[in-house]
Amino acid sequence: MDETRSSLGPDPDLRAEGAQLSADPEMLEARVDAVATRATVAAQVDAAAAAEQRRQRRYLARALLRSPTFMVGMFILLFWVFMALFSTGITQNPTDVDPAASLQAPSGAHWFGTDDLGRDVFARTMAGARTVLIIAPAATILALLWGGIIGLVAGFWRGLTDEIIMRLVDVLLALPIIITSILVLSLLGKGTAIIIVTIGALFTPVVSRTVRAAVISEREREYVMAARLRGERSAFVMAREILPNITQPIIVEGTVRLGYAVFTAATLSFLGFGLAPPSPDWGLTISTQRVFLQIAPWTVLFPAVALASLVVAVNLITDGLGRVFAK
Amino acid sequence: MPSANGQSSGDGAAPRALDVSDLEVTFHRRGRRLPVLKGITMHIERGEAYGLVGESGCGKTTLAMAAMRYLAANGTIDAGRVLVDGQDVSELSEEALRKWRGGKVSMVYQDPTQALSPAMRIGDQLAEVYRYHEGTGKTEAIERARESLRRVAIPDPEATLHRYPFELSGGQQQRVVIAMALSINPQLLILDEPTTGLDATVEAEILDLIEELRGRINAAILLITHNLGLVARLCERVGVLYAGRLVEEGAAKQVFTDPRHPYTMGLLRCVPRFGMNKTDAALQTIPGTLPALGEPLKGCVYSARCPMAKPVCVRREPDLYAWPGDGGARGAAEAEALPPDPAAYSPHHANPVGEASRHVRCYFSPDVPEMPVMTPVLATSLEARGATEGNVLSIENVQRTFKDGRKKLTAVSDISLELKRGETFGLVGESGSGKTTLAKCVTGLIAPDSGTIEFEGGQLRPTAGRRSKDALRAIQMVFQNPDSTLNPSWSTRAILTRAVRKLGGADRASVRGKVDKLSADVRVEPRFLLQKPLDLSGGQKQRIAIARAFAGDPTLVICDEPASALDVSVQASILNLLVELQTNEHVSYVFISHDLAVVRYISDRIGVMYLAELIEVGAAAEVFNPPHHPYTEALLSSIPTLDFDDARQRIPLRGTMPSLSEPPSGCRFHTRCHRLLGDICREQEPPLQEAVSGHTYKCHIPPNELLVLQTETAAAAGRGSAADAAEPQSIGASDLSAPAEV
Repeated sequence: MDETRSSLGPDPDLRAEGAQLSADPEMLEARVDAVATRATVAAQVDAAAAAEQRRQRRYLARALLRSPTFMVGMFILLFWVFMALFSTGITQNPTDVDPAASLQAPSGAHWFGTDDLGRDVFARTMAGARTVLIIAPAATILALLWGGIIGLVAGFWRGLTDEIIMRLVDVLLALPIIITSILVLSLLGKGTAIIIVTIGALFTPVVSRTVRAAVISEREREYVMAARLRGERSAFVMAREILPNITQPIIVEGTVRLGYAVFTAATLSFLGFGLAPPSPDWGLTISTQRVFLQIAPWTVLFPAVALASLVVAVNLITDGLGRVFAK
Repeated sequence: MPSANGQSSGDGAAPRALDVSDLEVTFHRRGRRLPVLKGITMHIERGEAYGLVGESGCGKTTLAMAAMRYLAANGTIDAGRVLVDGQDVSELSEEALRKWRGGKVSMVYQDPTQALSPAMRIGDQLAEVYRYHEGTGKTEAIERARESLRRVAIPDPEATLHRYPFELSGGQQQRVVIAMALSINPQLLILDEPTTGLDATVEAEILDLIEELRGRINAAILLITHNLGLVARLCERVGVLYAGRLVEEGAAKQVFTDPRHPYTMGLLRCVPRFGMNKTDAALQTIPGTLPALGEPLKGCVYSARCPMAKPVCVRREPDLYAWPGDGGARGAAEAEALPPDPAAYSPHHANPVGEASRHVRCYFSPDVPEMPVMTPVLATSLEARGATEGNVLSIENVQRTFKDGRKKLTAVSDISLELKRGETFGLVGESGSGKTTLAKCVTGLIAPDSGTIEFEGGQLRPTAGRRSKDALRAIQMVFQNPDSTLNPSWSTRAILTRAVRKLGGADRASVRGKVDKLSADVRVEPRFLLQKPLDLSGGQKQRIAIARAFAGDPTLVICDEPASALDVSVQASILNLLVELQTNEHVSYVFISHDLAVVRYISDRIGVMYLAELIEVGAAAEVFNPPHHPYTEALLSSIPTLDFDDARQRIPLRGTMPSLSEPPSGCRFHTRCHRLLGDICREQEPPLQEAVSGHTYKCHIPPNELLVLQTETAAAAGRGSAADAAEPQSIGASDLSAPAEV
């Protein structure tokens, strides 16, 4: 291209002005002034753009901080995370048996009372968060990973691949989650790892559906076509082009699944397919103590409330995230 | 001119349809005050049509929303009054407001599909208006709905009453929306981009309807559009908005033929005149961009982009001065006399001065006709671009059919064409005619069912995934939608780097240099390379998309409506960029657009598609002059131009486009053709006729007869021949043809 540009830089405005400057000396002064004005304006705009970017990010954070649903949910969740990590140092030992003090009502010594073996219900309730907070997130992450891959492949390739995968997904979705997991757990035996894998696998179909829907709307976008015209491999297009643009629905789906995973893990423990005594797991505790419901309701009530509070907290977080993202 | 009598609303006569004084609208966004409109004073007389033009973001729609009292929750009217038919809009209660909207004032929006409820039959939607506003009984309401459909000339009103919106074409939907807006005889009808997104022929149809209705209704019209041709055709007066200020106002004809504000002049020069070609004149652009909302402005709002700006312009904001007059000069002298105190830079409150019919907010209005031309002619002749070297691309009998349930839709039917090196082939036709499908067959995004595509002598594989690296590099595409053409998660530099590495085959060290060169070639400043597409303007995004296509020094670039989503000023700079790249790189283009003036400007040869067939091909000038296919003739007659003496007879296309699944027998165009011969057209496929060497069209009428018929029509229309219309028109044309200095 021409010399004028190389001397005045790539800016079309400056270049055009270069033409003007050499053309009309009378305008020179005015142009110089206008260029100066514009340069300052450009700098201002630039600074404004950078500030805007920072502000957008801060805005998102602040919108979450201002959302009461999100904050309440987050507070409860963080409370349980804290208890899961540090309750042993704070409370009495959750497995200390004291047959002399069994089934005592809540008191100063035992805030939530004691259970049939005289264990402190408060300590057990606080410690009970530990198992569920390992199983539920791990299972959710597995489900997101598998469901993400399946959804990406099905949504991106469409056609026969999609058809086969989605019919399989339909079949899996038709299976009742609890019954299937009971079957699997009775075959493979109990254990935290097996529970995680089972719940993760059973949640995979739902996640894959969400991801597939997001991929389908994204793959028709022109930047994906541009990638195909560059000869990019499908794996690259899926992972690098499409995936970063569908993180929001995946995050929301993840939090929804997390709530269900808490629920499912507790249900399995309750049915005796989860952890074994003396674990303070909530589901398990509710199951073993429910025979005393009439005479010592606190043994069941507190773990049940704890469980409910965790599920509600996760749902509140989901709700808050969804609303802020939708804005 | 109804406005010329200077009558104000308080004179006891009937009040004006719209009377806005000193209007100031501010948006509040996350704690910041962003002034959108400032000191707007304008009015529309009863029955008058007023056009509001300006780039997107100037505040046009905000003004309309303020008149409807439809401002978003974060928008407030800080000062001023809006009177509609003498009624202060802000004094209405919520209940009265509901009755008043759709009663006294109604609005037609850009997208008819969103204005109609998809779940209600047309008849019920229309009847609801009467039932709500006038308490009409059910049967009578339906009767009146039928009547209102008749008024907007819907082909079969009875059947339409029972249809759902999705069963109607875009043009018919817009007719229904207009029928609905007119149902209660409003005093003011606001049309917000009523034809944007519609095909040229449908647009012409809607314009005819509006023009025709104007004789029968007493509503005043506020037309908001970026299409200056529309305003020229429909409006008596026009207001030009820039950054929330009215910068020029007056009779449409005067403003458009003798603009006195540099912005108006700039806008007019951006639009390709019909018949202009890249080898005759460069499109003028408006440098820079609209100031962002809330950006501090010194003095004249336009000074930062104005090629005529002088120091005095940033000292103090000019008033709206009466034109002709010396108000501007006096204002400049006054501003000069101000002490050089920074505080004096703050814009003072501006009001129209005097009751004249024309106002301009500029100190230097007398100099505007001599506004300097900035862009040189860029294009060289075809020969200089190496276009004699033989074909780069030759497509033979390409066919592509899609399945829609059990129906088969043939989107591209037996198309053959050739393209030379350095040549631009323009592809025009209504939406759904198969232009994009054909383009995607060439790029390999869609595989053709049959036919061959040869590129530089070798046959191309059907899909991009199977093509060689070199074929991918050589054939690239620029897409239509600037908002989805770039991956929003990637930085601009990452996007270009990836393209260079995949297509340019360069090693790591040279990639950086190549990316910098590409961005310099498309005039994107390096600082924008760090940003993500979200932070770029539409024009910048499209520039990056062009740079991406040029990453591997392509031989052929398919441009699918690359500028149609952009403002005219930006469109001009994108077109200039494409022309310049072609001149330097000798690349060939297939250029798809529905804007005939743009296609005429940028193309060397043009192909016209109708219902999946290529019905006419030839050199650009020949295709757009008689003898040409009757469909091309109709298309051309439908473009609104800025020519006020335009006496071309508009040829309305009958009916709607037939379905691709059941194309008409014989000549595909016979169902809508105004030159129908008779059964021969219905039964026999027309032969390919040659008008001149290289210009062929598919029709039963031989060229000599067609020439006579088509020149007769033009002559009968009262003035000259169609060839006249193809000449550049007076305004700014002298500036444009003058060779500019570089």
